[in-house]
Amino acid sequence: MLDPKLKQALAMVQKPGRYTGGEPGCVYKDKEKVDLRFAFCFPDTYEVGMSFLGEKILYELINAHPNWWMERAFMPWLDMKEQMEQLGIPLYTLESKDPLTSFDIVGFTLQYEMSFTNILAMLDLAGIPFYAKDRGEEWPLIIAGGPCVCNGEPVAPFFDVMQLGEGEDQLQSLCAQVEQAKKEGISKEELLLRLAKIPGVYVPAFYDVEYEEDGRIHAITPNHPGVPAVVTKAILKDMNAYKPPVNFVVPLIGAIHDRAQVEVLRGCVRGCRFCQAGFIYRPMRQRDAEGLDQAARDLCANTGYEEVSLTSLSTSDHSQLEELLDRMNTWVEKEHVNIALPSLRVDNFSESLIEKTTKVRKSGLTFAPEAGTQRLRDVINKNVTWEEIERTCTIAFKAGYTSVKLYFMMGLPTETMEDIEGIADTAHRIVDLFYAIKDKPKGKGSVQVTISCACFVPKPHTPFQFCPQDTMEMLEEKQAHLRAAVRSRKVKVNCHFSDISFLEAVVAKGNRRLAPVMVEAYRNGCFFDGWDECFHYDTWLEAFKKCGIDPAFYAYRTIGLDEITPWSHMDYGVTHEFLVREYQKALQAVTTRPCNKACSGCGANQLLGGPCFEYNQNLVH
Amino acid sequence: MNTIRIWFTKEGDASYISLLDLQRAMGRCLKRSGLPVWYTQGFNPHIYMTFTCPLSLGQESLVESVDVKTEEESPDFEEWKNRLNPVMPGGIRVTKVAPVVHKGEEVAFARYTIWTRQPGGEEAVRAYNQAQQLLVEKKTKRAVKTIDLKEILPRVEAHLEGDKCTFEAVLPAGKDLNVNPTLLLDSWQEAYGFPARNWNILRTQLYTGKMEIFC
Repeated sequence: MLDPKLKQALAMVQKPGRYTGGEPGCVYKDKEKVDLRFAFCFPDTYEVGMSFLGEKILYELINAHPNWWMERAFMPWLDMKEQMEQLGIPLYTLESKDPLTSFDIVGFTLQYEMSFTNILAMLDLAGIPFYAKDRGEEWPLIIAGGPCVCNGEPVAPFFDVMQLGEGEDQLQSLCAQVEQAKKEGISKEELLLRLAKIPGVYVPAFYDVEYEEDGRIHAITPNHPGVPAVVTKAILKDMNAYKPPVNFVVPLIGAIHDRAQVEVLRGCVRGCRFCQAGFIYRPMRQRDAEGLDQAARDLCANTGYEEVSLTSLSTSDHSQLEELLDRMNTWVEKEHVNIALPSLRVDNFSESLIEKTTKVRKSGLTFAPEAGTQRLRDVINKNVTWEEIERTCTIAFKAGYTSVKLYFMMGLPTETMEDIEGIADTAHRIVDLFYAIKDKPKGKGSVQVTISCACFVPKPHTPFQFCPQDTMEMLEEKQAHLRAAVRSRKVKVNCHFSDISFLEAVVAKGNRRLAPVMVEAYRNGCFFDGWDECFHYDTWLEAFKKCGIDPAFYAYRTIGLDEITPWSHMDYGVTHEFLVREYQKALQAVTTRPCNKACSGCGANQLLGGPCFEYNQNLVH
Repeated sequence: MNTIRIWFTKEGDASYISLLDLQRAMGRCLKRSGLPVWYTQGFNPHIYMTFTCPLSLGQESLVESVDVKTEEESPDFEEWKNRLNPVMPGGIRVTKVAPVVHKGEEVAFARYTIWTRQPGGEEAVRAYNQAQQLLVEKKTKRAVKTIDLKEILPRVEAHLEGDKCTFEAVLPAGKDLNVNPTLLLDSWQEAYGFPARNWNILRTQLYTGKMEIFC
């Protein structure tokens, strides 16, 4: 029976199904009989959070322990937040509907910088103090995981524990320690010291940050004996040792990615120099085709999904992809299941791949050349050539595709107006290709090419971490230049807002001094910053001003190659020397080969204790 | 080909599943159950499903139904029910699987149990019973027309039990005239000031035009 106050709130909001739980696959346990309660919090809407594979992995793993119970909480949308505040309903989990304060662990996933203020909003809705130092023994342990932990410093003062790297082993170790600590009745300080010994566990309070007068960092030093000076991320050495989850909570209201997902590989061999994921998930490790096929089949049977996506950073780099598709094609039709390949690359897209994945529907095709000229693509190490784009589009058009979406970035290091014109030029040439095809399917008379242009944000742990971001004025000038250069009505241009990207750059490369700015901005109404309609740039600027922080210092400054960065005590396996080497090669437009073709000595193989690959030249198609 | 009617409840958390979401969810539940339901034979095959008289968001029901087809000659209805229940979302319970007797479009009336624990419910009921007339505007696809609720539902009996005030109402729910209980309760809010969202609505029966129980 729903609480009457909750029922009142639900009567007043859009999509109340976001706030009720009860979905097939959701796990219920007797809270009196479990030893550990974990609230997994996703700091964005239900629809976004329910698309996230990481949560499904951890939900299945943790709930497989009979005496632990993991439940889910999401950031309520504006209308529900208002109702909850008015009616005094604290933020609750969807399963038990208990407030976050009844849990032993409250864990947030840091997926993108613009969701950080939602963490504050969720803590606030639960009545939990923001800063770790203000929380005594009576509060749940507040922890964070996910990719943005790789520079979680702007939010580090809010967390008791942050987890670097892959959570499968790590989170289970952490839960076991917390369960043990409850039994022993030890203090939080003692517990944190024990947790700091788990691989990849970072306790922000155990590190002191000293600054230079100009705002750069002087030193980051541990302040407790036995705490490592540098925290090295946790990693699964063998992906086959962990089966992908075969039970999902199936949302009743449509999630963004509402389909079965099977993670075929982790990491990426490509080394695109702008891509944070490409560096922090190294080395690339893949699962065997046989196990993947079985997992996909079980997952579809357990969830009732009619679409299964083979997910990863670069699915077509899986060395057994064709074999996997062949195996799956023996059952998908009978079970009414479609296969989706979300991250195809232009350079190894083949007719047989199209054949094997699009038996049912021909939708649009999406590619990411990222830059408009070959020179700039070489700078960013996106090793895609015009010939490959041409070949791929020709195959796709002949197969009946009529819309192509191209992702580009603006403001990349060394970029000139010539590179911007190259973006328009690429799109025009694709339109021309379409009309040049003589045997295109009947009734497919028109083509639509959409250019989607993001503003480049330099990210920590990448070779471009040293680079300043283009100023907003410069980015807007480039956007105007691109629009002027497009002269076909078949080409549509979408550009991202440069002010959001600026803030993203500030936070991405920020340090602990940004924490009070976050609180100030949140107090003045900033949350859901990643949603255009909720982004209040002026409020952010006021918050920076009030806290005496200059945001340009973080976004627009070139970082010295020997400078101590806010994230220099976080080790993701890739060495500083390698990042410097890649940065220098970028400035000369020299490319680096994919890791499975030739090892470039990034250092991540140390995490595995041996070479990442048998250097079989057939691995890359 | 047999058409089968699956009867289910829609309570608690499940009362917030919209019809569109319910269609998708039910399709997945049927798929999970592994039962031999019939797929449409088009370019993009999907499970054939027809829902009877969809419920508004936030209302509960004991008598929802969905029709599916199967090529099974003589389906074991008890078996169908037993296989469906474990795969249903929280708040949905399959009560019966049975052959179709009435066509979906024969539904003409629905019975509701409506209750509140908030003070003021009883007064609202009394005010309604004393009123001569209660005109409401009802939007249809073509136009807005004014109807008198008192002609449709002359009076209701309030039952009091502790702080709980309950009444029952049978309202038109057919294709010619459909009066959603929220239309009644919204008009009460406007006329007597008792907030509509304080009422809980549970649909308990469907009837044909001859007031036979729809089945």
